[in-house]
Amino acid sequence: MKITVLGLGNLLYGDEGFGCTVARRLQETTDYPDDVEIVDGGTQGLYLLDYIEAADGLILVDAVIPLEAGFRIHRYDNDIPALIQKKMSSHQTGLTELLALARLHNRYPRELVLIGIPPKNLDMGIGLSPEVEALVPDVLAMIRDQIQAWLTP
Amino acid sequence: MAKRIVVDPIPRIEGHLRIETVLDDHNTIAEAYSSGTMWRGLELILKGRDPRDAWAFTQRICGVCTTVHAIASVRCVEDALGIKIPDNARIIRNLMNATQQTQDHLIHFYHLHALDWVDVVSALSADPKETSEIAQSISPWPKSSPGYFKDLKARLTTFVESGQLGIFTNGYWGHSAYKLPPAVNLLAVAHYLEALEFQKEIIKIHTIFGGKNPHPNYAVGGVATAIDPNADNVINIEKLSMIKKIIDDTNTFINQVYIPDLLAVAKFYKDWGSIGGGLGNYLAYGDFPETDIHDPGSFLWPRGAILNKDLSHVDEDVDPKDLSQIKEEIAHSWYTYDGKADGGLHPFEGQTNPKYTGPDLPYEYLDTDQKYSWLKTPRWKDNPMEVGPLARVLIAYVKGVDEIVDTVNFVLKDLDVPAAALFSTLGRTAARGIECKQTAGFMKHYYDQLIANVKKGDTKVYDSSMWDPERWPKEAKGFGFTEAPRGSLGHWIHIKDKKIEDYQIVVPSTWNASPRDGKGRSGAYEAALKGTPMADPEKPLEILRTVHSFDPCLACASHVMDMNGNEITTVKIV
Repeated sequence: MKITVLGLGNLLYGDEGFGCTVARRLQETTDYPDDVEIVDGGTQGLYLLDYIEAADGLILVDAVIPLEAGFRIHRYDNDIPALIQKKMSSHQTGLTELLALARLHNRYPRELVLIGIPPKNLDMGIGLSPEVEALVPDVLAMIRDQIQAWLTP
Repeated sequence: MAKRIVVDPIPRIEGHLRIETVLDDHNTIAEAYSSGTMWRGLELILKGRDPRDAWAFTQRICGVCTTVHAIASVRCVEDALGIKIPDNARIIRNLMNATQQTQDHLIHFYHLHALDWVDVVSALSADPKETSEIAQSISPWPKSSPGYFKDLKARLTTFVESGQLGIFTNGYWGHSAYKLPPAVNLLAVAHYLEALEFQKEIIKIHTIFGGKNPHPNYAVGGVATAIDPNADNVINIEKLSMIKKIIDDTNTFINQVYIPDLLAVAKFYKDWGSIGGGLGNYLAYGDFPETDIHDPGSFLWPRGAILNKDLSHVDEDVDPKDLSQIKEEIAHSWYTYDGKADGGLHPFEGQTNPKYTGPDLPYEYLDTDQKYSWLKTPRWKDNPMEVGPLARVLIAYVKGVDEIVDTVNFVLKDLDVPAAALFSTLGRTAARGIECKQTAGFMKHYYDQLIANVKKGDTKVYDSSMWDPERWPKEAKGFGFTEAPRGSLGHWIHIKDKKIEDYQIVVPSTWNASPRDGKGRSGAYEAALKGTPMADPEKPLEILRTVHSFDPCLACASHVMDMNGNEITTVKIV
């Protein structure tokens, strides 16, 4: 089973860099077998399609505006909207669009988990807010548990 | 999908673009205003950091164009410190840059711009046999059988009828401005999907040379990955042959799919050869040095400027380090210079003092008589300029670059339009295709150069002579640039006591999307939109066509209002 952890966001805008930061921390602290790939995907849009389509089990980590309010870790399993929207710039290819394209290509990941936090600070600047930083250890644990569960036959 | 959860990823990337237009009584755009509504302040983040690390931060400015910002950044540091990079580093950077440009243009055409011209829903009523005949008449591309298009049509129909995906419900489908027959629409949709698949291959070149993707490594002094024909984990024979195959496939795809599609679609939209021209002033710093970055005469995309659509002359006196040539004005931008609300400064003397004076959120309209954008207003020798593929192609055309002259003349002849049609939305879109063909050719050229060097035993990719900050002057200034997919990109650095003292960036979309200057003159988007007739102001497809033809690097919301100030429609794209 090919497992990919894809951290999304922009490191230059505070908590927008949440996904990238989590991916980097995982890379620094965990040694996984070759078929587990940890990627700091930034805001790369279509460049990331290959990572999404190549995965059997995909964990997406991103800053999100969740459906239900509440400052906590929000986790969604499999049921994530796949939408393609009209846009002004080819740089606007968002996560939902990548998922839609993967579905259109019949290469939607078999298992999909989205782990998100609502951002506290999106101002230009490097580093997470203390509130979001405090959630990172639990996010890392959640990801490691999920990878372990998928790796265990 | 029966159940639906709304998860709203945050809008990201460089900033948001908002277009406000005013229509006259005949639904023609009388005035247009372009505003960047999101504050950027990377310059402030870089202050005090190690200049050798700047590329890693600037690479994240733009959501997608990592390479161009990284290259401009390492070049400005090298310029400041007098570092001369090895020939292989020049070649590899050029190859990575050409790769980015080629892939980016392909994505732009199929993934963003094609849907301005191609009615996806109309494709569902196409006769696959007819599509096959058209495909075979314009290109030797093998995926062109009636069965192929029949399968695709069936897949597309299922996809649309499932209703789960927004793409085919969200467009202005059925809009009277769509002119393609169903068979051509089906062809374009087929290639939209093929291009999405193919672009994943092209970018593997970045992974090989950059050590990793999606954020390849760059280095002040050269490139980050070693070459050794016989070793593992470096650029070796196996990887070089992979690169060769990708380059060949890329050229085939562009010549057999992109260019024939571009021409096939353009034939139905020749009226757009006289809409959306705008400024008629074009600027390019130039790029792709054959010798050294300080030798503009060796650039494969030449440096220069054209004013007032004058195709008899290129002004070659373009010097972005000359304090008198480029100024960033703030008459309509939310900044101050030394406490003053107006003025223009060269980037070497640039300041980043944000001061928002616009309306509180949420607002209906911007007060465009006052300041209305987070973008500054760059001017070259006091002229508003358009940058990008059209500027580069026109400058190369006038300077007589052989392949460009041939391709441009071929396109004009095939479409049966005069050279003046280049100054238009259609011309801008055609120029991107012409450029893509040219740049894909560069990829081959650089591959051959690299192989020739490696065969000679030259594998040097890095110069470490100035890596140690102890060897740096106490103070130095430098300029780095590149021709990014969207146009001329410049980074200006001031290094003092081994740290970044000042850093100023002027991105292509700043030139093109800038607000009015102190004399009230429009930027490129604003000028190009003026005079555009709108078939249905509720569905401003025409605005999207022209703005998309520039390939904006900004997310956007577009507003249309009538002369009475009533909002007709809001096109919000998040």
